[in-house]
Amino acid sequence: MTADLVSVLFVASGLVAVGAFVTAWRRELTSALAGVPVMLAGAGTAFAGISRFASREGAQLIGQEMAVLLAIVALAAVALGVGLAGREGSR
Amino acid sequence: MDSLHAIGFYVSAALSVAGGLSLAFLESRRRRGAALGVVGLGVAGMYASLSAGLAGAMALLCYAVIALLMARRDYRAVELPVDERWRQVAGVGAAVLLGVLAYAAYRGSFAHATFYGGPIGTAAIGRLLLSHDALATEAIAALVLAALVGTAAGWRRERPREERPREQPERRR
Repeated sequence: MTADLVSVLFVASGLVAVGAFVTAWRRELTSALAGVPVMLAGAGTAFAGISRFASREGAQLIGQEMAVLLAIVALAAVALGVGLAGREGSR
Repeated sequence: MDSLHAIGFYVSAALSVAGGLSLAFLESRRRRGAALGVVGLGVAGMYASLSAGLAGAMALLCYAVIALLMARRDYRAVELPVDERWRQVAGVGAAVLLGVLAYAAYRGSFAHATFYGGPIGTAAIGRLLLSHDALATEAIAALVLAALVGTAAGWRRERPREERPREQPERRR
């Protein structure tokens, strides 16, 4: 059994599509927001996979760096969304 | 990639996709938080099997915090007035997106790209983040700061009238 770049990109596209589906399907705003980190996880997986398989020689750092930054952006987006939704009973 | 890493990759991929799909159908906030934790675990496993250990650790940390945030009970539920037909159209759109991306993954010639970046490791990624791509790191840091400030501003709760200290009436001379 092996995994190549095409299978990594398949999984990444599946994650992006699942995140888009969650965002579109949920009616409640913060539940829909939960799809954003899933989409960003798909993008990060694609970056990490490209950097793992596309380099013939040397190391693969740019994709890993982008994956780290995307995880942090996902955290910031969810924190901002939950904060903007506000605390129960505050208004 | 050897067989052990490939098995780890596919198991992690199944975990993350299943966790993501269950986000669409779970009703309880705590369960949705747990599902996001499963997504984070799967993503970290995929990164680790793709030789991206630092990215995996960071993803595990970030998605654990996201799961804790989403599992909270005390944020407001904001219902959007979305028509049922548009939700179904959006579901079909997500399926079309999956088809387009999978077709691009299958037909694309990404494997011919090359990158020569020196030795791999956590220190090398740190050097890249803080020297070569310092501007992108600063931009992300500014975004995180703005998000945290916005979160703090939005999360403030006005104290109920009965809990406020009673105002002292002004004395007339």
